[in-house]
Amino acid sequence: MSLRAFGVFGILALAACSTVRPEEKEFLAQPSMTFGSGGEDAAQEDHVISNREGSYGGGGVSGGGCGCN
Amino acid sequence: MQLSVTPARSSAFVCGLAIVVVAWSSHVSAQVRASTTATYYRESGANLSHQAITPSVRVSGVVRDVVSLRLGWDADVVSGASVAVVDAPGGEVDAITSATKWNDFRNNVTGGIGVRGEFTSLDVSYTWGRESDYRSHSFTITGRAELFDRNTTLELGYGRGFDQVCNLAQPRAQEPVDRQRLPSSDGCFDADDRESLDLSLQTFRGGWTQAWTPIFATQLSVSAQVINGFQGNPYRAVWLGRAAAQENHPENRVRYVGNLGARLWVQPLRGALQLGGRVYRDTWDVFSVTAELAWEQRLWEGLSVRLRGRYYNQTGAHFFSDDYGRAPRGQYFTGDRELSPMSSWLAGGRVRLDLPAGDDGKVGPFAAFAIVGVFDMLFYDFREFRYGRREVPNDKGMLATLSLEAEF
Repeated sequence: MSLRAFGVFGILALAACSTVRPEEKEFLAQPSMTFGSGGEDAAQEDHVISNREGSYGGGGVSGGGCGCN
Repeated sequence: MQLSVTPARSSAFVCGLAIVVVAWSSHVSAQVRASTTATYYRESGANLSHQAITPSVRVSGVVRDVVSLRLGWDADVVSGASVAVVDAPGGEVDAITSATKWNDFRNNVTGGIGVRGEFTSLDVSYTWGRESDYRSHSFTITGRAELFDRNTTLELGYGRGFDQVCNLAQPRAQEPVDRQRLPSSDGCFDADDRESLDLSLQTFRGGWTQAWTPIFATQLSVSAQVINGFQGNPYRAVWLGRAAAQENHPENRVRYVGNLGARLWVQPLRGALQLGGRVYRDTWDVFSVTAELAWEQRLWEGLSVRLRGRYYNQTGAHFFSDDYGRAPRGQYFTGDRELSPMSSWLAGGRVRLDLPAGDDGKVGPFAAFAIVGVFDMLFYDFREFRYGRREVPNDKGMLATLSLEAEF
């Protein structure tokens, strides 16, 4: 438990060191710099590809069928 | 009375809901987005093939920047020809030539609601899935908090799934080696000679997104998933030396996943370098690493191109064997090529065109409209998996996606 608490504290301490001001976020706001901005096409791409691998999932619980055939 | 779900009914249901959402949102002056996407995937070789068409419709609306609503429908229309009895003796039976044809149709309908504060948000969603041999209900809840001038985003999520898999009822088969494969999905969830097996899923997820400098950001996420229940393919049997039996996987599986992504803006080129790494481990002893490199470039106003390369490598499950007659692995056996040691390469690209707005600031009837196209080629290498004495023939795949996005 203390290790987890230390980890959370470490992340927050590290994050607090970052000093990007709002007016400096022009490039960070670009879609290509935003995580998860791929939209539905990226979600479908991941869905199809990961269904052909043995380590799919782990990040969601949506019904995936049995992967039959 | 049982309501049968057809593609027409599903799409009509979602379209109806979408119209309600759009009408309601316009009434309360909300921002509404809609998209429709279709993906086609195909791999083939010798007599084996696998193709999937995945259409989807998504509608979302945000009201007064506080409440968001999401509705969606997607489907997997899957067909192909596959080997029903894996690892049949190569000299006597040509498993590939005798591959059996199959097809399936899966519907997913999802709905969600989110509430957003100044620095926090909470989202919940529900997804209902159904196919001829599979049913699922899943719920997710995700909380986010933005800290330190919005340079840090922390995310916690939990998901719960309740699935049911159809199988052949075989009360006299006391041992796994006596079980026969399910011949078809006919009668699933209705007939006396079919049984319904439960599958339970729980997912825990944590994420940390960080802006480090004006041109560099990272995202770290970790997740764990606990799965309990029937996880094999009921249609597939494995040759065990003297007879074939339905594949038998362990009922419990715990997956651990770590993802690290990075984005670097390169101002002289006005493009973004995107790096990604994923490490996976589970209690079936599958260990995998994924490395991804992409470059996204805005060519001119409204047109951007993304080129992507991806490498994936995994070890096999501890109970995988390419010949259970000579090298059994205890009480479990599988004919799943995706549980064997394998690797894959992907090379692909994505083009996005945001149509320019007219003098009135609109694109026709829309506030914004975009067209997205994706094309990928995949190359698989199955190092130990064989159909009898033959290597996997369908080891190349092609994926193409077309998506239309509109904002009202």
